[in-house]
Amino acid sequence: MNDHKPNMLAPALIGGAVAGVLSSIPFLNCLCCLWIIGGAVLASYLLAKDSPVSLTSGDGAIVGALAGISAAVVDSLVGIPLHGLNVAVIRRMMERLSEFADEMPSGWENWLDRTGGGFSIAMFLMGLFISAAVFAALGALGGIIGASLFGKKKAQGADIAP
Amino acid sequence: MGAPDMKKGPNTVLMIWLLVVLGGFLWNAALFAAPLLRHEEPFVSAFVYAAFSPVCHQLPERSFSIHGSPLAVCGRCLGIYLGFSAGTILYPFLRRFSRPLLPATSIFVLASLPIGLDTAGNFLGLWASPIGLRLAAGLIWGSVLPFYLITGLYEVRQLLGGKFRLKSPGETK
Repeated sequence: MNDHKPNMLAPALIGGAVAGVLSSIPFLNCLCCLWIIGGAVLASYLLAKDSPVSLTSGDGAIVGALAGISAAVVDSLVGIPLHGLNVAVIRRMMERLSEFADEMPSGWENWLDRTGGGFSIAMFLMGLFISAAVFAALGALGGIIGASLFGKKKAQGADIAP
Repeated sequence: MGAPDMKKGPNTVLMIWLLVVLGGFLWNAALFAAPLLRHEEPFVSAFVYAAFSPVCHQLPERSFSIHGSPLAVCGRCLGIYLGFSAGTILYPFLRRFSRPLLPATSIFVLASLPIGLDTAGNFLGLWASPIGLRLAAGLIWGSVLPFYLITGLYEVRQLLGGKFRLKSPGETK
């Protein structure tokens, strides 16, 4: 039984923090979902580095999903001080959407004005929930990739196709 | 020590594959639903755009459009997600449902080269790829991802179910 593997929490937090910070910076988030997958790969690498036994793809999926959730939390928290800048980005998005949409929700400009001056707990939690779900899925995938790349130890067989 | 319950193995892989097929279909359907619903359901459309905003910059100039409205993700992301679904459909023909195996590292590296080079070149300002090239690079990379996800989900299922974990040849309990 592989019960000597190190704790997954630290690698997940580190990988998630890196991914969350990089994906929340406006000029760097142009790499889309690749930051989250990259952070999960990093988490798998860190886990494999301290593990005396080979990692399974299941281990990678779990640590990657945890990294994705961590990234969502970090991304949301980092976004708080960047709220003003983010509102400007959202306004730009909504204005662009209004160019394409025949019908926009009534009063959307006022909604932006109302929320642009402050922080909304409800919006924060909703965004966090959605981000956590999406990032967890992407993170699991990245973790599996990381486990396949870095998780094998010498003198142990691998379930890798020749 | 009990032998692996191989009779249940293919059924588990099949179930996971079906879930991944369904998930990929719904994910891709949402991408196209955002612009298609802007007339009938503007709130739903706006919600879908917002849901994908954490994972994509959604720049219209880098996105394909339907009826003049951009899809919920850019061309590169669209390629990844469509490629993922294509790879999922191909999975049974290449792997069957007997035993999930991870792709060789060389395959992943080869599949990652186009998107890696394209992304790096654009990010560093060396060139600006046309949207078709971004889509193609995403398609290639996305097509290998299901082979990782399905294997990983199978392993997670084994771990959580306390079932026998796939052992490597020669490894003893």
